[in-house]
Amino acid sequence: MAKRALSDLRVIDISQGIAGPYATKLLADAGANVTKIEPPAGDYTRRLGPFPGDVPDPEKSGLYLHLNTSKRSVTLDVSVASGQVILKKLLAAADVLVCGEKASTLRAWGLSYDDLRGEFPDLIVAQVSPFGATGPYAEYEGNNITAMAMSTIMYNTGEPDREPLATGGQAGEYLGGVQLWIGILAALENRERNGGGDHVDVSMAEAVAAADEYNAAMYGFQGAVRRRYYSRHIFGYPNDIMECADGYIVVIPGASGFPSPLQPDTISPMALLMEDIELDKTVFFQQMGERMVHWREFEALISPYLMSKSAMEIVMTAQALRLPFAFVPTASDLLSDEHLAERGFFEHQQHPRAGAITLPGAPFKMSVTPLTESPAPLRGEANADVLVGELGYETGDLTILSDRGVI
Amino acid sequence: MTDAQQLPLEGIRVIDLAQVFAGPACTRILGDLGADVIRFESANRMDVTRNLIITDNDGIDHHWHRASYFVIRNTNKREMVVDLAKEEGREIVRKLVAGADILVESFTPRVMANFGLDYEALSKIKPDLIMCSLSGYGQYGSMRDFGAYGMGLEPASGISSITGYAGGPPMRSGLSFTDPYSGFVGAGAILTALRYRRRTGKGQYIDLSEQEAAIPVMAAALLDYQMNGRLAERRGDRSGYAAPQGCYRCAGDDRWAVISCENDAEFERLARATGHAEWLDDARFATVTARFEHHDELDAAITAWTSQRDHYDVMRTLQAAGVKAAAVLDGKEILFDPHFQARHHFDIVDQPLLGKRPVQRHLAAKFTRFEAKARRAAPLLGEHNDEVLREIGYSDEQIAKLKEDAVIADQPNLPVPAQYVAAALKLPYDRYLEHGILQAVDADYREQLGIAE
Repeated sequence: MAKRALSDLRVIDISQGIAGPYATKLLADAGANVTKIEPPAGDYTRRLGPFPGDVPDPEKSGLYLHLNTSKRSVTLDVSVASGQVILKKLLAAADVLVCGEKASTLRAWGLSYDDLRGEFPDLIVAQVSPFGATGPYAEYEGNNITAMAMSTIMYNTGEPDREPLATGGQAGEYLGGVQLWIGILAALENRERNGGGDHVDVSMAEAVAAADEYNAAMYGFQGAVRRRYYSRHIFGYPNDIMECADGYIVVIPGASGFPSPLQPDTISPMALLMEDIELDKTVFFQQMGERMVHWREFEALISPYLMSKSAMEIVMTAQALRLPFAFVPTASDLLSDEHLAERGFFEHQQHPRAGAITLPGAPFKMSVTPLTESPAPLRGEANADVLVGELGYETGDLTILSDRGVI
Repeated sequence: MTDAQQLPLEGIRVIDLAQVFAGPACTRILGDLGADVIRFESANRMDVTRNLIITDNDGIDHHWHRASYFVIRNTNKREMVVDLAKEEGREIVRKLVAGADILVESFTPRVMANFGLDYEALSKIKPDLIMCSLSGYGQYGSMRDFGAYGMGLEPASGISSITGYAGGPPMRSGLSFTDPYSGFVGAGAILTALRYRRRTGKGQYIDLSEQEAAIPVMAAALLDYQMNGRLAERRGDRSGYAAPQGCYRCAGDDRWAVISCENDAEFERLARATGHAEWLDDARFATVTARFEHHDELDAAITAWTSQRDHYDVMRTLQAAGVKAAAVLDGKEILFDPHFQARHHFDIVDQPLLGKRPVQRHLAAKFTRFEAKARRAAPLLGEHNDEVLREIGYSDEQIAKLKEDAVIADQPNLPVPAQYVAAALKLPYDRYLEHGILQAVDADYREQLGIAE
């Protein structure tokens, strides 16, 4: 049996959606025992899909199946007292409680860190919420797009005369999840070192802002306020996505793509790529500032070449010239990508209800304790195992709890 | 936190051979958690971020000590400048590894093996070493040797294919998004390995491909393609399930706010808060299906309201009514935002030559028992050469010899005189302002921030 990095860790997860469940997926795939507590109607991602044939089915939601691998599912209404009693029995043997609610909701449920620390002094209460548990916006409502908005990243993404753009794929939720995951592991390290549980408080808005490349720094070190400019770096055009004959590529001349004043007699890799050595004499090849300000003229200069070649031809030739160009794959391209296949990236899984599905695999490869993904649970599939097997309820109790809508 | 308490990673030593963004973001988190991070640079090829976003856009004198981009990513670290092309340089790495816990590197895959510093070699020196290689495309596979810059890797992960305006081309985020994303993932991966090592005494090797680390963000699109043969369309700021959702123009120059209603109750609150209860009786807007169908008309109606108001007013008014809304902040506004200030998202670091500067947290998580903050300035080039070498037993004579032989250094070997580099690094901000690449340049920004000397 493969060695599991976190097989000694017990996690109770009452969060729903993306951020919290992604954090506990990263723990569960590394071997932690994660009990996912779903409301009796199920985690709301069970209703979001995508679904096979667009037919809604809570056991076949693609997003749910991805985010909840390697976990067990217990249905329990933690918003009512009888559910909270059962949850606290589970916490007695847990290292970490993960929640995705804002502070006032957890307090109302008696499940905030302050409510729990007396009874469970070693418990780590990990909370990811739109704006965090403290501060003037703690009670604000939010989701992925509010986090993107507050981060400065959105203001700097998109075209200058149009609205700012959020990064695709609910990226802010995933960043919140990754930051929560790190926070949990850090609090566990601290518990080993200094003893005691802790409150890990992640604001999704801050999680995205932590990724800011240099927007705040430009102000804090220069007084300059950047704005979106076709989502480009201020360090120069292109370094951006451009159209070619059969799709799109990323044109990245890198540090040495354009003519170098240090080597006046050599032909630049960009000119070699485009098979036109005269280009080196143009102001656009010689001066970054000119490319940036007069990017349309520069684009007109290189576009005919790009539009005459396929993405494969351009990127492979550019890479051979040591220009770090890149592909712009779609979901379909990724699923059939040879390099990813050679690395065994995707996880091909047989789910009892959804059938054969291919999920994104481990986000990193560990040599001794590789992450593995077992199929996401059916709703409430571990109710009997956990309530009867671990907490000692009678089988008959399950019926009563179920009739009352607690489980 | 009491004085007696240690930070969670105190006593853990990290050898940091990573450059630029992803790797330094990873090791900054480890440093913020208390690890002793010793980063390496080369005098012949400095970390390129030492050339980026120079303080006051002024490359005069020692620009490599004035680069904001470098500072924000490298606080809480010590630094050596060592020539790894020389055997004596590699010997320094090996000696440090013998007493280290973690090594992080971000070279293209062949480089560490060429140096004889791959995991196989290093784990002979330190059997329980945890080593993490961060690369663009991973350590094996046909694209492993691809040159990889951050700006190419967000597109390579697929995320750009679902970012963009409806009907428009794929777009990059306004940063190398997968660089910080994968750097953060690397920090979590290392903490996972560290916990396993504590239990078992075993180290291991982590192969982190920046492209792969971010692909999970694409999961819904990947599954929709498998399940329905459909490629996700770019749809600006709209959502697949919330309507209305969008980014709405507010009063002022290029000011915006986002609004998102995930259900009928939230839409009702929006309608009442904006004084448009009539929307609730409008068949075009009454149900979520109708709102998706008439999203453009609804957006126009919402914009008529937002465009008369400051973006912060829009956020406060709607949030008071229980509607998801947020002001779209720029790089200045986030520094002054009361919420980010109250939660200490920025630490003020006293940086040599630059004075006090705001530096953002890289670990956003807040704890009650310790703070993962920027505690010390980013290192000057090679600032800790002597200090670290003495710690691992080098004598003053040996250190002097290493200097003489240019194995260690504290000045860069610039390919041209420094004044030419300085001129090249000074960006044409006047023209950038004129063309809208910059929104503003405040001469009195330090007074405004309260960090003037």
